[in-house]
Amino acid sequence: MIRLFLLAWLAGQSPSSEAMQHIQAGLEARKQHQVETEIVEFRKATELDPTLADAFVNLGAAYMEKGDYGVAITPLKRALEISSDLVVAHQFLGYALLEQGYAAEAIPHLQRVGALDALGVAQIETGQLNEAVASFSAAFSNRPNDPDLQYYLGHASGLLSKKSIDTLLATHPDSARAHQALAENYFVLRQMPQAEKEYLEALRLRPDLPSLHLELGQVYANSAQWPKAETEFRAEAKLRPGSAEAAYRLGAALLQQGKSRDALVELKRANELKPEMPETLYSLGKAAALAGDNATAEQSWLKVVELEKDTSIAAQSHFGLAGLYRKQGKTAQAQHEMQEFQKLQSTIGPPRSE
Amino acid sequence: MVRRFTRRSLLSLAGMAAAAPIFEVKPLRGIDFILQNSPTAKKFLIETMPGGVALFDYNNDGLLDIFLVNGGRITEALHVPENFDRANPRYWNRLYRQNRDGSFRDVTQAAGLANVGNGNYGMGVAVGDYDNDGYPDLFVTSYGKNVLYHNNGDGTFTDVTAKAGVAGGGWSVSAGFFDYNNDGLLDLFVTRYMEWDADHNKICGGDWHTYCPPSVFPATTCLLYRNRGDGTFEDVSERAGFTAKKGRALGVAFADYDGDGFTDIFVSNDGMQQYLFHNNGDGTFNECALESGAALTSDGKGLSGMGTAFQDYDNDGRPDVIVTVLPRELYGLYHNDGAGAFTYQSLETGLGALTSGSSGWGVGLEDFDNDGWKDLFVAQSHVLDNVQQIDASLRYKELPLLALNHSGHFERANSGATTPIAARGAAFGDINNDGFMDVVLTTLGGPPMLLLNRGSGGHWLSIMLRGSRSNRDGYGARVSVNGQIRFATSAGSYVSANDKRLHFGLRTAEKATVEILWPSGTKQSLNGVRADQFLEIREPEHP
Repeated sequence: MIRLFLLAWLAGQSPSSEAMQHIQAGLEARKQHQVETEIVEFRKATELDPTLADAFVNLGAAYMEKGDYGVAITPLKRALEISSDLVVAHQFLGYALLEQGYAAEAIPHLQRVGALDALGVAQIETGQLNEAVASFSAAFSNRPNDPDLQYYLGHASGLLSKKSIDTLLATHPDSARAHQALAENYFVLRQMPQAEKEYLEALRLRPDLPSLHLELGQVYANSAQWPKAETEFRAEAKLRPGSAEAAYRLGAALLQQGKSRDALVELKRANELKPEMPETLYSLGKAAALAGDNATAEQSWLKVVELEKDTSIAAQSHFGLAGLYRKQGKTAQAQHEMQEFQKLQSTIGPPRSE
Repeated sequence: MVRRFTRRSLLSLAGMAAAAPIFEVKPLRGIDFILQNSPTAKKFLIETMPGGVALFDYNNDGLLDIFLVNGGRITEALHVPENFDRANPRYWNRLYRQNRDGSFRDVTQAAGLANVGNGNYGMGVAVGDYDNDGYPDLFVTSYGKNVLYHNNGDGTFTDVTAKAGVAGGGWSVSAGFFDYNNDGLLDLFVTRYMEWDADHNKICGGDWHTYCPPSVFPATTCLLYRNRGDGTFEDVSERAGFTAKKGRALGVAFADYDGDGFTDIFVSNDGMQQYLFHNNGDGTFNECALESGAALTSDGKGLSGMGTAFQDYDNDGRPDVIVTVLPRELYGLYHNDGAGAFTYQSLETGLGALTSGSSGWGVGLEDFDNDGWKDLFVAQSHVLDNVQQIDASLRYKELPLLALNHSGHFERANSGATTPIAARGAAFGDINNDGFMDVVLTTLGGPPMLLLNRGSGGHWLSIMLRGSRSNRDGYGARVSVNGQIRFATSAGSYVSANDKRLHFGLRTAEKATVEILWPSGTKQSLNGVRADQFLEIREPEHP
């Protein structure tokens, strides 16, 4: 990458001295992958003409090719002293400094050339997490399929999140948000009694805080305490009547308790608030089937298999449809759906128990 | 404001008014048995799976006796061929004879049941009079070889395994006698769990060191033995279609679910789909759980099937299926819709809400409060002894589940047990002949637990069948009492055998109409039968 970039850049230069001949020799050596010769030739060029910025840039690049980032820094800096507008020198110097751990010093050079991914890394290392997330986000919009970028964006966001929470816990340890943050941490660690305790404390402090009831409900749902989960999800749904998730989770909790008609109402509401969500549609189908509303069940599950193809929820919907058709005496359709279910089972594996 | 009471709220109020527990935990006087499962740090999978209990009247004195299956000695150095030290009395299976005063006497040695063989780690027990001599025989399953004990009728048993040809091999778990070909002779079905031995044991759970899930080991097949009637059995597993269906079978229960006159088999498999073997009536079976709707949950997911019961919970005349499983699943209830179809109804029946955090093993559908509806009792405990360290919301030891049946809806009731236990086997029967069904549980590393029914009221009828053209135990008969149905069997639950007498709660009825469809095809009706009695009904010699 460095080589291609340099060749392109040097193509625009015009050799006019003995120094330039060494540069040409260095470039020839580069083509032959003779990095030691490159270094010798570029160094001679810098000795013959200490004002030739091109020679210093090439020398620095050769050291970088060799992996001697620390040695590369001096000629690259010299090149910028000679010509501060040399973009390629800024870029190489930024990378070299970053590689050597001088992240703060690298940042202005990387900013200058818009090397967003390397800039983001330097910003992480200097604790500029907001800026790092912004850099990675900007880079990500151009290269959304780059796995390195995906990693770094997630990494930076996680660090930023942790920093914010640490600050919250340090500055407002008795706040509802601090208890919520602790509860979320316990939840991730599957320490449900501690999570429950923290959520309850957060709710005591701020009973109207959005998402607290939802999250506490999930703690109860996780330990199969469905009546308690229902209570919390209902409270969330009351606080936020426009929340599709609250309606969905309330419906699911009702369904788990066999309250199919009540579940149907909530799941229909969730589907209206946020249509075409496969999980909602699947549960809606299930609640409808239990409540005897076969038309809604069929419609919901058919929608799922339209939206989802090779997924577990698609397999489950085929299975649900097979049962529905079997009960209706639609043998051929039941068999077809069962075949689709089995086909998916053989490709994606059987649906797993919770 | 007028408050409207729903049926459910009234039931709830009634429940509060009648908060007294159904059972009382009573000491089993004279029983000093400890189930030696011998847990080790090596987490040999067999350690967490025993052991069975049978309630049967081996000496025909009218009192239920208790047979308990022991595990065996396991050390961390266990290797093939395994030696479980079963000659050591500490590891014997035990037979306890009930005395008139309700106490028990250990008659193991006198009965000839002491040493089951050092290579056999005990699992379960089945009871049936396979030679129709009027005395119930015992079949004991093991990891290793199974043993058939013939009841000699004089208080002793004889190991007839070699002659009978039913030793099997591998890891057998639950078993049951039934007459699959209606020839009047009890045949034998044996579930086998997986291909496992001590040299191929694995430890799972990373740093937690847990027993491995079943999927880690290869599946295996169940066994069907046809009773030739001369004291020998023929292994017909292949011919009948069982070798074609590998599974991880733990429980088995029998009933004629489609009313074609032939007894079918439900097998609970661990960590996969369940099996329903339809009896084709020609000596073969067809596994049809998936197309019948009894294989998976309503989400198309497999179950960690352990124990099972195959009786009619909603009094519609058709046997339904219950399967006990691990937490995060729901105990499976498959309602028999008729025409060979089942619907998963764990949620509608309230069972889901009661069981999603529990692990179930032995299970029975019996009318404990004599109200005319079969209630549910489950022996509970997680399979992993360190589960609480892994998931704080789960418990290794649990209270048993008693769920009373209110017109087809199950509601939790106070079982009377107050100490969580690691329960496995469960057998159901009327231990003290008072007209109320009792329960005996086995517990890993502990003594059996008797839950004696306090008897809260309601009339009842207990029927003991005596077949003539059919098998003498009458297994496979469909018995209707005032419209309630029971399918005669001592099998079901997990690794256990129940009192073969058929118990019916009659609520306020003082008379009963009894109708029996015998396996021979003979129909028999009795009208105006007095309630509150133990009634032996003999099959007519001629239809």
